[in-house]
Amino acid sequence: MNAPQSDEAIRERLFAIVAKQAKIDPAVLRPEATLKDLGIASLEAIELIFDIEEDFDITFPDEHANFDTDTVQNLIDAVRAALQAKSGGSEATA
Amino acid sequence: MSVANARRFAITGMGAVSAFGVGAAPLWQGLREGRSGIEPLRHAESSRLRVRIAAQVPESFDPAALFDERVLPMLDRTTQFALCAANEAIAQSGLDFAAEGLGSRTAVVIGTGVGGETTQDESSRRLYAENAQRLHPLTIARVMANAPASQISMAHGLRGPVFAVSSACASSNHAIAQAAMMIRAGVADVAVAGGAEACLSYGVLRAWEAMRVLADDTCRPFSANRRGVVLGEGAGIFVFESMERARARGATVLAELAGFGMSADAGDIVAPDPAGGGAAMALALADAGLRPEDVDYINAHGTGTPANDPAETRAIRQVFGAHADRLAVSSTKSMHGHALGAASALELVAVIGALRDGVVPPTANLDTPDPACDLDYVPNAPRAMPVRAALSNSFAFGGLNAVLALKQA
Repeated sequence: MNAPQSDEAIRERLFAIVAKQAKIDPAVLRPEATLKDLGIASLEAIELIFDIEEDFDITFPDEHANFDTDTVQNLIDAVRAALQAKSGGSEATA
Repeated sequence: MSVANARRFAITGMGAVSAFGVGAAPLWQGLREGRSGIEPLRHAESSRLRVRIAAQVPESFDPAALFDERVLPMLDRTTQFALCAANEAIAQSGLDFAAEGLGSRTAVVIGTGVGGETTQDESSRRLYAENAQRLHPLTIARVMANAPASQISMAHGLRGPVFAVSSACASSNHAIAQAAMMIRAGVADVAVAGGAEACLSYGVLRAWEAMRVLADDTCRPFSANRRGVVLGEGAGIFVFESMERARARGATVLAELAGFGMSADAGDIVAPDPAGGGAAMALALADAGLRPEDVDYINAHGTGTPANDPAETRAIRQVFGAHADRLAVSSTKSMHGHALGAASALELVAVIGALRDGVVPPTANLDTPDPACDLDYVPNAPRAMPVRAALSNSFAFGGLNAVLALKQA
Protein backbone atom coordinates (compact mmCIF):
# COMPACT_ATOMS: atom_id res chain seq x y z
CA MET A 1 0.00 0.00 0.00
CA ASN A 2 2.68 2.48 1.01
CA ALA A 3 5.27 3.25 -1.63
CA PRO A 4 8.81 2.65 -0.42
CA GLN A 5 9.78 5.71 1.54
CA SER A 6 13.00 7.63 1.16
CA ASP A 7 15.25 7.87 4.18
CA GLU A 8 14.59 11.58 4.17
CA ALA A 9 10.83 11.07 4.35
CA ILE A 10 11.14 8.57 7.21
CA ARG A 11 13.45 10.92 9.03
CA GLU A 12 11.14 13.88 8.63
CA ARG A 13 8.07 12.01 9.88
CA LEU A 14 9.94 10.47 12.78
CA PHE A 15 11.48 13.78 13.80
CA ALA A 16 8.01 15.29 13.96
CA ILE A 17 6.74 12.49 16.23
CA VAL A 18 9.75 12.56 18.54
CA ALA A 19 9.81 16.35 18.73
CA LYS A 20 6.15 16.39 19.67
CA GLN A 21 6.70 13.89 22.50
CA ALA A 22 9.81 15.76 23.69
CA LYS A 23 8.02 19.10 23.29
CA ILE A 24 10.86 20.62 21.27
CA ASP A 25 11.25 22.14 17.80
CA PRO A 26 12.00 19.41 15.20
CA ALA A 27 14.64 21.74 13.77
CA VAL A 28 16.85 21.35 16.87
CA LEU A 29 16.51 17.54 17.02
CA ARG A 30 19.80 15.68 16.34
CA PRO A 31 19.90 12.01 15.20
CA GLU A 32 22.53 11.19 17.82
CA ALA A 33 20.34 12.40 20.72
CA THR A 34 19.23 9.57 23.02
CA LEU A 35 15.68 9.38 24.33
CA LYS A 36 17.16 9.94 27.79
CA ASP A 37 18.83 13.17 26.51
CA LEU A 38 15.41 14.28 25.31
CA GLY A 39 13.83 13.61 28.69
CA ILE A 40 11.65 10.81 27.29
CA ALA A 41 11.57 8.27 30.11
CA SER A 42 9.80 5.02 30.88
CA LEU A 43 6.12 5.27 30.01
CA GLU A 44 6.67 8.21 27.62
CA ALA A 45 9.09 6.08 25.63
CA ILE A 46 6.46 3.33 25.35
CA GLU A 47 3.97 5.95 24.16
CA LEU A 48 6.49 7.23 21.64
CA ILE A 49 7.02 3.72 20.25
CA PHE A 50 3.24 3.34 20.01
CA ASP A 51 2.90 6.69 18.17
CA ILE A 52 5.61 5.65 15.69
CA GLU A 53 3.98 2.25 15.13
CA GLU A 54 0.60 3.87 14.54
CA ASP A 55 1.97 6.54 12.20
CA PHE A 56 3.98 4.14 10.02
CA ASP A 57 1.58 1.21 10.48
CA ILE A 58 4.39 -1.07 11.60
CA THR A 59 5.11 -3.29 14.60
CA PHE A 60 8.49 -3.20 16.30
CA PRO A 61 9.79 -6.47 17.71
CA ASP A 62 9.59 -6.54 21.54
CA GLU A 63 13.30 -6.94 22.00
CA HIS A 64 13.98 -3.68 20.21
CA ALA A 65 13.26 -1.52 23.22
CA ASN A 66 16.24 -0.11 25.08
CA PHE A 67 14.95 3.28 25.96
CA ASP A 68 17.84 4.69 27.95
CA THR A 69 20.45 4.33 25.23
CA ASP A 70 18.42 4.38 22.02
CA THR A 71 19.14 7.35 19.80
CA VAL A 72 16.82 8.99 17.31
CA GLN A 73 18.99 7.42 14.59
CA ASN A 74 18.32 3.96 16.11
CA LEU A 75 14.61 4.68 15.79
CA ILE A 76 15.01 5.72 12.14
CA ASP A 77 16.89 2.49 11.46
CA ALA A 78 14.24 0.45 13.27
CA VAL A 79 11.44 2.10 11.30
CA ARG A 80 13.25 1.43 8.02
CA ALA A 81 13.81 -2.21 8.97
CA ALA A 82 10.17 -2.63 10.00
CA LEU A 83 8.94 -1.06 6.75
CA GLN A 84 11.20 -3.35 4.75
CA ALA A 85 9.96 -6.38 6.72
CA LYS A 86 6.38 -5.32 6.02
CA SER A 87 6.94 -4.97 2.30
CA GLY A 88 8.64 -8.38 2.27
CA GLY A 89 12.11 -7.02 1.62
CA SER A 90 14.61 -9.85 1.87
CA GLU A 91 17.18 -7.59 3.51
CA ALA A 92 14.84 -6.89 6.42
CA THR A 93 16.29 -7.58 9.81
CA ALA A 94 13.37 -6.69 12.04
CA MET B 1 -16.00 -12.35 71.46
CA SER B 2 -14.83 -8.96 70.31
CA VAL B 3 -11.22 -8.06 70.93
CA ALA B 4 -10.91 -4.36 70.19
CA ASN B 5 -7.33 -3.15 69.88
CA ALA B 6 -6.13 -6.63 68.95
CA ARG B 7 -2.49 -6.39 67.94
CA ARG B 8 -1.97 -9.97 66.82
CA PHE B 9 -3.98 -11.78 64.19
CA ALA B 10 -4.22 -15.51 63.72
CA ILE B 11 -4.56 -17.03 60.27
CA THR B 12 -6.76 -20.06 60.82
CA GLY B 13 -7.63 -21.01 57.26
CA MET B 14 -6.20 -20.70 53.78
CA GLY B 15 -7.28 -21.67 50.32
CA ALA B 16 -5.94 -21.13 46.83
CA VAL B 17 -6.46 -21.64 43.14
CA SER B 18 -3.36 -21.25 40.99
CA ALA B 19 -1.38 -22.65 38.11
CA PHE B 20 -0.79 -25.63 40.40
CA GLY B 21 -4.53 -26.34 40.49
CA VAL B 22 -7.13 -26.10 43.21
CA GLY B 23 -5.86 -25.93 46.78
CA ALA B 24 -3.26 -24.21 48.92
CA ALA B 25 -1.40 -27.51 49.41
CA PRO B 26 -0.57 -28.13 45.72
CA LEU B 27 0.53 -24.49 45.36
CA TRP B 28 2.87 -24.70 48.35
CA GLN B 29 4.13 -28.13 47.31
CA GLY B 30 5.02 -26.78 43.86
CA LEU B 31 6.74 -23.70 45.24
CA ARG B 32 8.75 -25.53 47.89
CA GLU B 33 10.01 -27.90 45.20
CA GLY B 34 10.91 -24.99 42.93
CA ARG B 35 8.56 -26.18 40.18
CA SER B 36 7.22 -23.68 37.66
CA GLY B 37 3.57 -23.33 36.73
CA ILE B 38 4.48 -21.27 33.66
CA GLU B 39 3.46 -22.98 30.43
CA PRO B 40 2.57 -22.17 26.82
CA LEU B 41 -0.48 -19.90 26.74
CA ARG B 42 -3.80 -21.65 26.14
CA HIS B 43 -6.06 -19.07 24.52
CA ALA B 44 -8.67 -19.02 21.76
CA GLU B 45 -6.95 -15.97 20.22
CA SER B 46 -3.38 -17.15 20.71
CA SER B 47 -2.60 -16.96 16.97
CA ARG B 48 -3.20 -13.17 17.14
CA LEU B 49 -1.21 -12.64 20.33
CA ARG B 50 2.48 -11.99 20.82
CA VAL B 51 2.41 -13.24 24.40
CA ARG B 52 3.31 -16.94 24.36
CA ILE B 53 3.42 -18.01 28.01
CA ALA B 54 1.41 -17.66 31.21
CA ALA B 55 0.84 -19.29 34.57
CA GLN B 56 -2.75 -20.38 33.98
CA VAL B 57 -5.10 -22.32 36.18
CA PRO B 58 -5.06 -25.78 34.57
CA GLU B 59 -7.79 -27.02 32.24
CA SER B 60 -8.78 -29.53 34.90
CA PHE B 61 -10.46 -26.62 36.75
CA ASP B 62 -14.08 -27.47 35.94
CA PRO B 63 -16.62 -24.85 37.09
CA ALA B 64 -19.55 -27.11 36.17
CA ALA B 65 -18.31 -29.74 38.60
CA LEU B 66 -17.51 -27.20 41.33
CA PHE B 67 -20.63 -25.02 41.41
CA ASP B 68 -24.36 -25.52 41.48
CA GLU B 69 -25.95 -24.85 38.09
CA ARG B 70 -28.21 -22.21 39.67
CA VAL B 71 -25.17 -20.29 40.96
CA LEU B 72 -22.78 -20.75 38.05
CA PRO B 73 -24.42 -18.20 35.66
CA MET B 74 -23.63 -15.49 38.24
CA LEU B 75 -19.93 -16.29 38.42
CA ASP B 76 -17.18 -14.75 36.34
CA ARG B 77 -13.99 -16.81 36.31
CA THR B 78 -12.54 -14.41 38.94
CA THR B 79 -15.38 -15.19 41.34
CA GLN B 80 -15.12 -18.91 40.61
CA PHE B 81 -11.52 -18.81 41.82
CA ALA B 82 -12.43 -16.68 44.85
CA LEU B 83 -15.30 -18.92 45.95
CA CYS B 84 -13.24 -22.05 45.53
CA ALA B 85 -10.39 -20.64 47.64
CA ALA B 86 -12.77 -19.21 50.26
CA ASN B 87 -14.58 -22.53 50.65
CA GLU B 88 -11.25 -24.23 51.33
CA ALA B 89 -10.10 -21.57 53.81
CA ILE B 90 -13.39 -21.50 55.72
CA ALA B 91 -13.55 -25.30 55.93
CA GLN B 92 -10.03 -25.37 57.34
CA SER B 93 -10.84 -22.70 59.95
CA GLY B 94 -13.56 -24.91 61.43
CA LEU B 95 -15.71 -21.84 62.10
CA ASP B 96 -19.49 -22.17 62.22
CA PHE B 97 -20.88 -18.85 61.02
CA ALA B 98 -24.45 -19.91 61.79
CA ALA B 99 -23.68 -20.29 65.49
CA GLU B 100 -24.13 -17.42 67.94
CA GLY B 101 -24.50 -14.80 65.24
CA LEU B 102 -20.88 -15.10 64.15
CA GLY B 103 -21.84 -14.47 60.51
CA SER B 104 -22.97 -10.97 61.47
CA ARG B 105 -19.59 -10.31 63.06
CA THR B 106 -17.59 -11.54 60.05
CA ALA B 107 -16.14 -9.28 57.35
CA VAL B 108 -15.20 -10.18 53.77
CA VAL B 109 -12.60 -8.08 51.94
CA ILE B 110 -11.43 -9.36 48.57
CA GLY B 111 -8.90 -7.63 46.36
CA THR B 112 -9.03 -7.70 42.58
CA GLY B 113 -7.20 -5.66 39.98
CA VAL B 114 -9.68 -5.80 37.10
CA GLY B 115 -12.73 -7.67 38.44
CA GLY B 116 -14.92 -9.68 36.06
CA GLU B 117 -12.68 -9.19 33.06
CA THR B 118 -13.53 -12.45 31.25
CA THR B 119 -17.20 -11.46 31.20
CA GLN B 120 -16.38 -7.87 30.23
CA ASP B 121 -14.21 -8.99 27.34
CA GLU B 122 -16.78 -11.48 26.07
CA SER B 123 -19.53 -8.83 26.29
CA SER B 124 -17.44 -6.39 24.24
CA ARG B 125 -16.75 -9.06 21.65
CA ARG B 126 -20.46 -9.82 21.31
CA LEU B 127 -21.37 -6.13 21.01
CA TYR B 128 -18.66 -4.90 18.67
CA ALA B 129 -17.61 -8.00 16.72
CA GLU B 130 -20.96 -9.79 16.43
CA ASN B 131 -23.24 -6.74 16.60
CA ALA B 132 -25.27 -8.59 19.22
CA GLN B 133 -28.48 -6.90 20.25
CA ARG B 134 -28.47 -8.12 23.83
CA LEU B 135 -26.07 -9.20 26.55
CA HIS B 136 -26.57 -11.82 29.24
CA PRO B 137 -28.84 -10.35 31.93
CA LEU B 138 -26.33 -11.22 34.67
CA THR B 139 -23.46 -9.40 32.97
CA ILE B 140 -23.38 -6.63 35.58
CA ALA B 141 -23.63 -9.10 38.45
CA ARG B 142 -20.65 -11.00 37.02
CA VAL B 143 -18.48 -8.01 36.06
CA MET B 144 -18.71 -5.88 39.21
CA ALA B 145 -15.49 -5.84 41.20
CA ASN B 146 -17.29 -6.70 44.44
CA ALA B 147 -18.77 -9.90 42.98
CA PRO B 148 -16.12 -12.16 44.58
CA ALA B 149 -16.68 -10.63 48.04
CA SER B 150 -20.46 -10.71 47.62
CA GLN B 151 -20.59 -14.33 46.44
CA ILE B 152 -18.42 -15.43 49.40
CA SER B 153 -20.73 -13.52 51.73
CA MET B 154 -23.82 -15.15 50.17
CA ALA B 155 -22.38 -18.66 50.14
CA HIS B 156 -21.43 -18.59 53.82
CA GLY B 157 -23.92 -16.19 55.42
CA LEU B 158 -21.30 -13.54 56.23
CA ARG B 159 -23.20 -10.36 57.09
CA GLY B 160 -20.56 -7.98 58.45
CA PRO B 161 -18.69 -5.38 56.37
CA VAL B 162 -18.23 -6.85 52.86
CA PHE B 163 -16.48 -5.03 50.02
CA ALA B 164 -13.76 -5.13 47.37
CA VAL B 165 -10.38 -3.46 47.43
CA SER B 166 -8.53 -2.54 44.27
CA SER B 167 -4.91 -1.47 44.07
CA ALA B 168 -3.65 -3.33 41.01
CA CYS B 169 -0.83 -5.71 41.98
CA ALA B 170 -1.10 -4.88 45.69
CA SER B 171 -4.85 -5.52 45.96
CA SER B 172 -4.60 -8.66 48.10
CA ASN B 173 -2.23 -7.14 50.65
CA HIS B 174 -4.35 -4.00 50.90
CA ALA B 175 -7.45 -6.21 51.37
CA ILE B 176 -5.76 -8.21 54.13
CA ALA B 177 -4.59 -5.03 55.87
CA GLN B 178 -8.13 -3.68 55.68
CA ALA B 179 -9.46 -6.90 57.23
CA ALA B 180 -6.93 -6.73 60.06
CA MET B 181 -7.80 -3.09 60.75
CA MET B 182 -11.48 -3.99 61.10
CA ILE B 183 -10.66 -6.71 63.63
CA ARG B 184 -8.33 -4.31 65.44
CA ALA B 185 -11.08 -1.67 65.53
CA GLY B 186 -13.58 -4.16 66.93
CA VAL B 187 -15.80 -3.83 63.85
CA ALA B 188 -15.53 -7.55 63.07
CA ASP B 189 -14.48 -10.64 65.03
CA VAL B 190 -13.49 -12.68 61.98
CA ALA B 191 -12.47 -11.63 58.48
CA VAL B 192 -12.29 -13.61 55.25
CA ALA B 193 -9.78 -11.78 53.07
CA GLY B 194 -7.46 -12.21 50.12
CA GLY B 195 -7.63 -11.65 46.41
CA ALA B 196 -8.71 -13.10 43.08
CA GLU B 197 -7.87 -12.41 39.45
CA ALA B 198 -8.71 -13.93 36.08
CA CYS B 199 -7.08 -11.40 33.80
CA LEU B 200 -6.02 -13.41 30.75
CA SER B 201 -8.65 -12.04 28.40
CA TYR B 202 -7.77 -11.07 24.85
CA GLY B 203 -8.19 -7.37 25.66
CA VAL B 204 -6.04 -7.42 28.79
CA LEU B 205 -3.33 -9.52 27.12
CA ARG B 206 -3.15 -7.03 24.24
CA ALA B 207 -2.99 -4.17 26.74
CA TRP B 208 -0.06 -5.80 28.54
CA GLU B 209 1.65 -6.44 25.21
CA ALA B 210 1.35 -2.74 24.45
CA MET B 211 3.27 -1.87 27.62
CA ARG B 212 6.16 -4.07 26.48
CA VAL B 213 6.78 -5.51 29.92
CA LEU B 214 5.93 -9.17 29.20
CA ALA B 215 8.71 -11.75 29.07
CA ASP B 216 8.77 -14.06 26.06
CA ASP B 217 10.94 -16.81 27.60
CA THR B 218 10.07 -17.18 31.30
CA CYS B 219 9.99 -15.11 34.49
CA ARG B 220 13.54 -14.46 35.78
CA PRO B 221 13.35 -12.16 38.80
CA PHE B 222 16.65 -10.54 39.83
CA SER B 223 18.52 -12.24 36.96
CA ALA B 224 20.48 -9.97 34.60
CA ASN B 225 18.74 -11.62 31.62
CA ARG B 226 15.23 -10.96 32.98
CA ARG B 227 12.79 -9.91 30.29
CA GLY B 228 9.72 -8.94 32.26
CA VAL B 229 6.48 -10.19 33.71
CA VAL B 230 4.78 -13.54 33.09
CA LEU B 231 1.07 -13.13 33.81
CA GLY B 232 -0.75 -15.58 36.03
CA GLU B 233 -4.22 -15.98 37.52
CA GLY B 234 -5.89 -17.49 40.54
CA ALA B 235 -7.02 -16.66 44.05
CA GLY B 236 -5.79 -16.87 47.62
CA ILE B 237 -8.24 -16.43 50.49
CA PHE B 238 -7.57 -16.59 54.25
CA VAL B 239 -9.48 -16.55 57.52
CA PHE B 240 -8.26 -14.02 60.10
CA GLU B 241 -9.25 -13.58 63.73
CA SER B 242 -7.61 -12.16 66.82
CA MET B 243 -4.98 -14.45 68.31
CA GLU B 244 -6.88 -14.43 71.60
CA ARG B 245 -10.03 -15.64 69.87
CA ALA B 246 -8.24 -18.36 67.93
CA ARG B 247 -6.42 -19.66 71.03
CA ALA B 248 -9.60 -19.56 73.11
CA ARG B 249 -11.45 -21.81 70.68
CA GLY B 250 -8.48 -24.14 70.26
CA ALA B 251 -8.08 -23.46 66.54
CA THR B 252 -5.01 -24.50 64.60
CA VAL B 253 -3.11 -21.28 63.90
CA LEU B 254 -1.25 -21.47 60.57
CA ALA B 255 0.70 -18.25 61.13
CA GLU B 256 0.43 -14.89 62.81
CA LEU B 257 -0.25 -11.73 60.84
CA ALA B 258 1.85 -9.47 63.03
CA GLY B 259 1.47 -6.18 61.18
CA PHE B 260 1.20 -4.33 57.93
CA GLY B 261 2.48 -1.17 56.29
CA MET B 262 1.05 0.85 53.42
CA SER B 263 2.41 3.80 51.46
CA ALA B 264 2.18 5.52 48.09
CA ASP B 265 5.05 6.76 45.94
CA ALA B 266 3.13 9.83 44.73
CA GLY B 267 5.52 9.83 41.80
CA ASP B 268 5.43 7.88 38.56
CA ILE B 269 2.35 5.88 37.54
CA VAL B 270 4.46 2.79 36.73
CA ALA B 271 8.12 3.26 37.72
CA PRO B 272 8.67 2.11 41.31
CA ASP B 273 10.32 4.40 43.88
CA PRO B 274 12.53 2.59 46.43
CA ALA B 275 11.59 5.20 49.05
CA GLY B 276 7.90 4.29 48.78
CA GLY B 277 8.41 0.53 48.98
CA GLY B 278 10.92 1.02 51.78
CA ALA B 279 8.47 3.14 53.75
CA ALA B 280 5.85 0.38 53.58
CA MET B 281 8.38 -2.22 54.77
CA ALA B 282 9.50 0.00 57.66
CA LEU B 283 5.87 0.64 58.66
CA ALA B 284 5.12 -3.09 58.60
CA LEU B 285 8.10 -3.84 60.84
CA ALA B 286 7.08 -1.09 63.29
CA ASP B 287 3.44 -2.20 63.33
CA ALA B 288 4.55 -5.78 64.05
CA GLY B 289 7.06 -4.72 66.71
CA LEU B 290 9.81 -6.45 64.74
CA ARG B 291 13.41 -5.32 64.48
CA PRO B 292 15.09 -5.83 61.09
CA GLU B 293 17.25 -8.61 62.53
CA ASP B 294 14.14 -10.56 63.60
CA VAL B 295 13.23 -11.14 59.95
CA ASP B 296 14.62 -14.18 58.13
CA TYR B 297 12.73 -14.10 54.83
CA ILE B 298 11.19 -11.61 52.41
CA ASN B 299 8.81 -12.78 49.72
CA ALA B 300 9.66 -10.07 47.21
CA HIS B 301 7.36 -8.30 44.81
CA GLY B 302 10.01 -9.48 42.30
CA THR B 303 8.16 -9.07 39.01
CA GLY B 304 11.18 -9.74 36.82
CA THR B 305 10.98 -6.36 35.08
CA PRO B 306 14.11 -4.29 34.53
CA ALA B 307 12.63 -1.53 36.72
CA ASN B 308 11.23 -3.38 39.75
CA ASP B 309 14.01 -5.69 40.79
CA PRO B 310 16.86 -3.18 41.36
CA ALA B 311 14.44 -0.70 42.97
CA GLU B 312 13.15 -3.37 45.37
CA THR B 313 16.72 -4.43 46.14
CA ARG B 314 17.63 -0.84 47.06
CA ALA B 315 14.50 -0.51 49.19
CA ILE B 316 15.38 -3.67 51.14
CA ARG B 317 18.93 -2.40 51.70
CA GLN B 318 17.64 0.97 52.92
CA VAL B 319 15.32 -0.64 55.46
CA PHE B 320 17.44 -3.58 56.62
CA GLY B 321 20.96 -2.09 56.54
CA ALA B 322 23.62 -4.68 57.31
CA HIS B 323 20.99 -7.34 58.01
CA ALA B 324 19.96 -7.23 54.32
CA ASP B 325 22.89 -9.55 53.53
CA ARG B 326 21.59 -12.15 56.00
CA LEU B 327 18.05 -12.19 54.60
CA ALA B 328 16.69 -14.83 52.28
CA VAL B 329 14.75 -12.98 49.58
CA SER B 330 12.81 -14.81 46.88
CA SER B 331 10.26 -14.07 44.19
CA THR B 332 7.78 -16.89 43.81
CA LYS B 333 6.31 -15.07 40.78
CA SER B 334 9.00 -17.01 38.94
CA MET B 335 6.73 -20.05 39.48
CA HIS B 336 3.09 -18.95 40.01
CA GLY B 337 3.39 -15.99 37.64
CA HIS B 338 2.09 -12.51 38.31
CA ALA B 339 -1.56 -12.90 39.19
CA LEU B 340 -1.97 -9.11 39.61
CA GLY B 341 -4.71 -8.53 42.21
CA ALA B 342 -4.31 -12.10 43.49
CA ALA B 343 -0.50 -12.03 43.49
CA SER B 344 0.14 -11.21 47.13
CA ALA B 345 -2.50 -13.72 48.23
CA LEU B 346 -0.69 -16.53 46.37
CA GLU B 347 2.54 -15.23 47.91
CA LEU B 348 1.04 -15.36 51.40
CA VAL B 349 0.56 -19.10 50.87
CA ALA B 350 4.31 -19.24 50.17
CA VAL B 351 5.17 -17.23 53.30
CA ILE B 352 2.92 -19.34 55.53
CA GLY B 353 4.55 -22.46 54.08
CA ALA B 354 8.02 -21.07 54.78
CA LEU B 355 7.11 -20.20 58.38
CA ARG B 356 5.49 -23.58 59.07
CA ASP B 357 7.84 -25.94 57.25
CA GLY B 358 11.15 -24.09 57.61
CA VAL B 359 11.68 -24.12 53.85
CA VAL B 360 12.21 -20.97 51.80
CA PRO B 361 10.88 -21.34 48.25
CA PRO B 362 13.42 -20.34 45.62
CA THR B 363 13.56 -17.70 42.92
CA ALA B 364 13.36 -19.90 39.83
CA ASN B 365 15.21 -19.12 36.57
CA LEU B 366 17.83 -16.93 38.25
CA ASP B 367 20.92 -17.94 36.27
CA THR B 368 22.76 -14.66 35.57
CA PRO B 369 23.73 -12.43 38.51
CA ASP B 370 22.93 -8.73 38.13
CA PRO B 371 25.23 -6.29 39.98
CA ALA B 372 22.18 -4.09 40.61
CA CYS B 373 20.47 -7.01 42.39
CA ASP B 374 22.94 -8.04 45.08
CA LEU B 375 20.93 -9.83 47.78
CA ASP B 376 20.57 -13.55 48.52
CA TYR B 377 17.63 -14.47 46.28
CA VAL B 378 17.70 -18.23 47.05
CA PRO B 379 18.34 -19.02 43.38
CA ASN B 380 16.69 -22.05 41.79
CA ALA B 381 16.74 -24.45 44.77
CA PRO B 382 14.63 -24.30 47.93
CA ARG B 383 16.49 -23.79 51.21
CA ALA B 384 15.78 -25.49 54.51
CA MET B 385 16.17 -22.86 57.24
CA PRO B 386 14.17 -21.70 60.23
CA VAL B 387 11.95 -18.74 59.39
CA ARG B 388 10.85 -16.86 62.52
CA ALA B 389 9.36 -13.86 60.78
CA ALA B 390 8.89 -12.74 57.20
CA LEU B 391 7.71 -9.82 55.11
CA SER B 392 5.58 -10.11 51.98
CA ASN B 393 6.05 -7.16 49.60
CA SER B 394 3.61 -5.80 47.02
CA PHE B 395 4.38 -2.69 45.00
CA ALA B 396 1.63 -1.88 42.51
CA PHE B 397 1.31 0.21 39.39
CA GLY B 398 0.01 3.54 40.54
CA GLY B 399 2.81 3.65 43.10
CA LEU B 400 0.80 1.78 45.76
CA ASN B 401 2.74 -0.27 48.28
CA ALA B 402 1.42 -2.76 50.84
CA VAL B 403 3.61 -5.02 52.96
CA LEU B 404 2.55 -7.71 55.43
CA ALA B 405 4.64 -8.89 58.40
CA LEU B 406 4.12 -12.53 59.37
CA LYS B 407 5.41 -14.56 62.31
CA GLN B 408 5.51 -18.22 63.19
CA ALA B 409 2.37 -19.24 65.07
